[in-house]
Amino acid sequence: MKKIMTRFGEVEFDPEKTLSFVSGLIGFENLHDFLVMPSVKKGPLFWIQSVEDPQIAFVVTDPTNFFLDYKVVPDKVERKTLGIEDEDECFALSVVTIHPDKSVTLNLAAPILFAPKSNRAMQVILEKSQYQTRTPLPVV
Amino acid sequence: MLVLTRKPGEGILIGDEIKITIIEGRGGSVRIGIEAPADKKIYRQEVYERICQENKEAIQWNIADLNDLTISLPTKENRQ
Repeated sequence: MKKIMTRFGEVEFDPEKTLSFVSGLIGFENLHDFLVMPSVKKGPLFWIQSVEDPQIAFVVTDPTNFFLDYKVVPDKVERKTLGIEDEDECFALSVVTIHPDKSVTLNLAAPILFAPKSNRAMQVILEKSQYQTRTPLPVV
Repeated sequence: MLVLTRKPGEGILIGDEIKITIIEGRGGSVRIGIEAPADKKIYRQEVYERICQENKEAIQWNIADLNDLTISLPTKENRQ
């Protein structure tokens, strides 16, 4: 086990079980290993904590909690990067931005693809879609 | 920055794997064709930079915000 001091306190983790971003996230290409941190309270949000830079953590969520028909299918090259075959599961996660006024948006234009089998992830840009970088949560 | 002048139909090679061809210039825009290996990600610069910027804003959060939000947000389970 290893320990890091994050913005949210000390975290102990197994370096063999980190979530691996082979190419980092966009703008954070040098960060490859993340810990998946459950939210303290039950709910749709959790966060991923960088191992390499303890200052960096992203809030993420399963976008289908809010947008039921949102679906991203990885292409052949993305599957290869994720280390999975056609039949293996792959989920899309959205990066959550909490703005200074406390409003919340999801980045549906650049989802994180996550493959449970390989424990690898990558952020992709859906350039041809209509999805927005700052999608407000639907009004319930 | 390397600056080259090219005519429509002419191209540029970058290394062994990337070929850029000028297709046409029209109305102040230039159409270019890019041939590159499938694993080379190609983005419009402004789109890439927008995502970069959004990621940088997304890391500016604190745990109190997260806890407040978690209470107020609906989940798939409790909506059904």
